[in-house]
Amino acid sequence: MLSVENLRVVYHDVISILNGVSLKAATGEISVIIGANGAGKTTLLRAISGMLDLYEGDIIEGDITVGNSSIRGLDSTDIIKRYGLTYVMEDRPVFWYLTIEENLAAAAYSRWDGAVKADMEKVFRYFPVLRNLRNQKAGYTSGGEQQMLAIGMSLMTRPKILLFDEPSLGLAPLVTEELFRIIQQLNREGLTVVLVEQNAHAALSIGHHGYVLENGRVVLDGPAVALLDNEDVREFYLGTGAKERRSYQDAKRYKRRKRWL
Amino acid sequence: MRLNEEMTDLIQTLGAGLLIGCVYGLLGLGIVIIFRASEAFNFAIGEFLVVGSFLFYIFFFDLHLPFLLALPLGLLAAGAMGAIIERLSIKPLLGRSALSMTIITLGLASVLRSSVQLIFGAHSYSFSLELPDTSLEFGSLLFPSERVWAGLLSVVTFGFILFFLFRTRWGVAIRATSESQAKAMAFGIDARFILLMVWALSSMCIAVAGVMISNFGALSFLTGIAGLRAIPVVLIGGMDSIGGALIGGLIVGLCEALVGSYIEPLGLVGFKDVAPYLLLLIVLFIRPYGLFGTVRIERV
Repeated sequence: MLSVENLRVVYHDVISILNGVSLKAATGEISVIIGANGAGKTTLLRAISGMLDLYEGDIIEGDITVGNSSIRGLDSTDIIKRYGLTYVMEDRPVFWYLTIEENLAAAAYSRWDGAVKADMEKVFRYFPVLRNLRNQKAGYTSGGEQQMLAIGMSLMTRPKILLFDEPSLGLAPLVTEELFRIIQQLNREGLTVVLVEQNAHAALSIGHHGYVLENGRVVLDGPAVALLDNEDVREFYLGTGAKERRSYQDAKRYKRRKRWL
Repeated sequence: MRLNEEMTDLIQTLGAGLLIGCVYGLLGLGIVIIFRASEAFNFAIGEFLVVGSFLFYIFFFDLHLPFLLALPLGLLAAGAMGAIIERLSIKPLLGRSALSMTIITLGLASVLRSSVQLIFGAHSYSFSLELPDTSLEFGSLLFPSERVWAGLLSVVTFGFILFFLFRTRWGVAIRATSESQAKAMAFGIDARFILLMVWALSSMCIAVAGVMISNFGALSFLTGIAGLRAIPVVLIGGMDSIGGALIGGLIVGLCEALVGSYIEPLGLVGFKDVAPYLLLLIVLFIRPYGLFGTVRIERV
């Protein structure tokens, strides 16, 4: 169980991005986080995975725990090694100038066991298309292939919990569909998944539990199915809610938000 | 007969240029691996060269260790020095712009130069390795032993570094980190340690080149000026190309030798120090990224 309690994050000591986020990602489930641009989704994942330092961000309040131990303030390397929590950054975090095979090897750097080759085989079984491209530079492969490689690389770290940051970004609908199918399959095989998405409909359809993030707060949460039916979520994130045509005035968000809080 | 003599002269010049070019290539490599890892240019290369050579000097001449023991020890010490310098001056800047690291190396150069003067004084130390004689002599061609050794050891060191970068797990991690510290850290590569390793590796390259250059004559804090040769080398070869460093080194070596034996006698004394920079200008006009600078992968 990954849980975040009342997390507050500030960049450069002044820009407050997360204003007290609390959520729980139950083991073996897919937890979906949706929210508009600037809501703090990426920051939340950076904070959990220990990457904030690099972006000059600080956790000023709150705690992050995996099981019973706090991982707040740990380095990303430690978090991966000790807690099996890996963060798949947005925009396809592959190394462009390395070949596919070297990419996978680089991702296995934190491990010292002899099973790296076997794990690489496993990744190739998941993504057969990568096997044929193994000696090609990752920068020359397609967006879908890069995202698959990124997932393959995250698997090389032997994760128990995977955080995905908008895996569907910039991919064709068909590719996105396949990607989500893969994520679902990984989850069925026992991985805990935290999925941050703009593509709310697709994400909620494979998720178990959903959170809506706005202005650095969780404004709504519930089972994914319930969120799909929620009128506010439908209107703001799925674009299907409003029955009759409304003027812009009525759709002003803050009115709604007041009700949520 | 006259033609024959001229041919001999030319071959002698080219050979000498290639041999010294290998050493320059190694200096270039020292710059390139740091540039690839952190986009910073190490302007303290001349001082790294001097300090590396003095560290070797201590082991070989002061402690009288055999060469085969003194060289690895000297290199280890040079690597440790690079690592310490990185920890003290570069690591606090991680995540800042590469320009600030570059400027730090300018300051570093002054500090190291003065420290060397303080500790070892400003006089020259005689520096003769007395390695087995490998002079090459064909008819009237002669390549002196220390030049042959310099070329040989430089190529071997270059090979070691290439093997390390392309065939070991650390090498893959270094190349990954060179591309993006953030991505590397997200996949559990300790980018800070990688940067440390890169600086250590680079100081070792530079130290090997330093020992070889000192072996041509003597060692003093002024030997570091030779390190500046690395600037045209990497700019001609391409700042981020490892192969380019070697080719750039050879080009600069050849250019220097040719100018030295054909243009300087016309009365232009000292022109051979300028010539590589003129060549550099021409190369940059035609290829602004250098001959082998990475063509960026552009996605459309």
